Amino acid sequence: MSENSGSWSRRGFLGASAAGAAVAADMTGLNVLQNPVLASELKQQGKRVILLWLAGGASQLETFDPKPGRSTGGPFRAIKTSVPGVEISELMPKMATRLSKYTTIIRSLDTKNADHGGAARLMHLGRRDEPTVKYPDLGAVLARELGRVDSQVPDYVSFYTATEGRGSAVSQSGFLGARYNAMFLTEGNVPPNLRKLDEISDLDHQQRGELRDLLSKRFAAGRQSASLGSHNESYARVRGLMASEQLFDISKEPQSIRDKYGPTLFGEQCLVARRLVEAGVPFVKISRAWWDSHGQNFETHLELVTELDNVMSALLDDLSERGLLENTLVVTLSEFGRTPSINSSLGRDHFASAWSSSLSGCGVKAGSVYGASDDDGREVKDGKIGAAELFATIYRAVGIDHRKDYHIGARPIPLTDPGTKHVAEVLS
Amino acid sequence: MPPEKLKLAKDMGSKEVFLSLARVKDSSRLFLGASDGKVYDIDLAAEKPEFKSWEGHGPYVTGLALAGETLVSGGYDCKLIWRNITNGGVIRTVDNAHARWIRKLAVSPDGNQCASVADDMVCRVWEVESGKLVHELKGHETLTPNNFPSMLYTVAYSPNGQHLATADRVGQVCVWEASTGSKVQTLQAPGLYTWDPKQRIHSIGGARSVAFSPNGETIVVGGIGHIGNIDHLDGPSRVEAFAWQKGEKLHEFLGDAKGLVEFFAFGPDSKWFIGVGGDNGGLIQIYDLEAKKVTKSEKSPMHVHACVLNETADKLFACGHGRVGVWELS
Repeated sequence: MSENSGSWSRRGFLGASAAGAAVAADMTGLNVLQNPVLASELKQQGKRVILLWLAGGASQLETFDPKPGRSTGGPFRAIKTSVPGVEISELMPKMATRLSKYTTIIRSLDTKNADHGGAARLMHLGRRDEPTVKYPDLGAVLARELGRVDSQVPDYVSFYTATEGRGSAVSQSGFLGARYNAMFLTEGNVPPNLRKLDEISDLDHQQRGELRDLLSKRFAAGRQSASLGSHNESYARVRGLMASEQLFDISKEPQSIRDKYGPTLFGEQCLVARRLVEAGVPFVKISRAWWDSHGQNFETHLELVTELDNVMSALLDDLSERGLLENTLVVTLSEFGRTPSINSSLGRDHFASAWSSSLSGCGVKAGSVYGASDDDGREVKDGKIGAAELFATIYRAVGIDHRKDYHIGARPIPLTDPGTKHVAEVLS
Repeated sequence: MPPEKLKLAKDMGSKEVFLSLARVKDSSRLFLGASDGKVYDIDLAAEKPEFKSWEGHGPYVTGLALAGETLVSGGYDCKLIWRNITNGGVIRTVDNAHARWIRKLAVSPDGNQCASVADDMVCRVWEVESGKLVHELKGHETLTPNNFPSMLYTVAYSPNGQHLATADRVGQVCVWEASTGSKVQTLQAPGLYTWDPKQRIHSIGGARSVAFSPNGETIVVGGIGHIGNIDHLDGPSRVEAFAWQKGEKLHEFLGDAKGLVEFFAFGPDSKWFIGVGGDNGGLIQIYDLEAKKVTKSEKSPMHVHACVLNETADKLFACGHGRVGVWELS
């Protein structure tokens, strides 16, 4: 696999300039800003993304697109926000006061697929599957684009602690190779088996690594294999990854910070996410399951949106106060939304025709609302977009040209499907 | 003896979800609290029953208490409204009766007081005639053990009016002395708290229904057991019975039917009771306290949210998702 966008490749660019910092220090000499490719590369340096994945499908009506007074509206009220004329569900009072500072709402997703498995794949890959190509997911692409070659921390960390829906939580680096696979945490907040065994001394461990490196280089001599290179790259980063164990330890945070995120698992994982992006991890996904509220939708959302409101606002505040939010994009996304009609179990079913997402922080025009659903929330009446457009917007927000190509051999693979347009209205 | 037969005698459809019910004594005239914020008035004995409506609430009228000519209604708008049922006139409105959703109302047997419970986890007792607040009963935690908001779902008076019971999301039942407002007993039914730390990391259910037996000795509390599949509330209907003064659990009824048990109606001899509720369909079950078993389990044409037995215990009035009906018992 290679990538190419014009005559400059990212790796070539980084190699030619020795290091990103050196480039930044000498921009005028290289005149990089007149080269759109180089300008894009510079823009994305230091950018991070945190994805809050609301697995199972959160209701747009009980979050970002309430319909008070309509038969589809349910029992929750809509409340005013810090953006004049924009209301969200009363379950999100903290986010209501922060919209104008951090967040843009997209209310016009029409993604066609309302099946958990297929929809989750679509909203992880930004496109439909193709038999001959194994596409990387959002995290792998962002790890590839935003990560540093010499990084000592993981490029892609993914939490999915519940069991429901975990099989649909796509995590694949596809043609990008094993280097960009997720560190996938399913049992808790700390990666298992990261710690060095006590019976091995640090010197032993280092020497074993050097021996493995020597042997693998001999083995690789004269062979050409992408998977072999990917494998060796992963090993080369082992000691750095081991050193990053402390990033997962929230006991190192002041109690006052931990209190803001709250004592729930989702809150703790979002605090770990902040620690990770602060240390340079380019992509972290926290999957919060399970929002599939066919029965008792309102009870479910009373629990889960209350938690989301608290955790999301704490995360955005924390990132902002540390100066990280201007370089960190926080995406709140599900595989689909939920039906406007209320079923006989006081639930809402799967619905992909008019639902919502939010983008906060980096590159986003805070306080904007894009698109609209109709009065009952049954279909998009303005600004309809699909997964590709949302992905293009995410890429643009962090400085990636979504029209660029990767290559598998001679075959160009566009980052987003040809003709895809990003939503310029939500980007600053 | 529990009734052996249960037959749907009459039912009426509607586009609304009926969440609460009150019945005029010795009649088939019902008041229904609905999801559209209206209170509906219907006489099922009429040749052509009609839904007449009164407005005044925001969405979801979840509690009704009828004392003589006075109907008190409460809902998710945190408001209580007193009305005269003859002319529909509003007697009194208390806008912020609670700080969060009102879940249910109950009226004392003498009709002098009504109690409201809400997600602010407080039970408030009101004088029906004057609207004066008599007691605030505080004994339920505002957060679940897993740090999510708790909910105070239901309340019931004892037949002699001396006690009332309240029940919450985690399956705690508090029994209060009506005259003083002091707590006299706490019962635990943790099997009704369906917190799932592994599969979904949230809960569904809670103690949705509570009732005293007519002899005052037994309290039953209902909801749902462990949920396998969230899609259709796929868990066993669950009821627990207590000799409440001793704090002793008598039995756990796990019904064949799946879904929530949302309301109870006791037979006059205290030996049997009816539980109603449902999943995506509806359930009506008859429980035998002496035999400690579910003697009858019937499907209902709607998920049932509330019910009441008539004075001779041979008719069951019930309302729920898009429908109200009357069943004959024999």
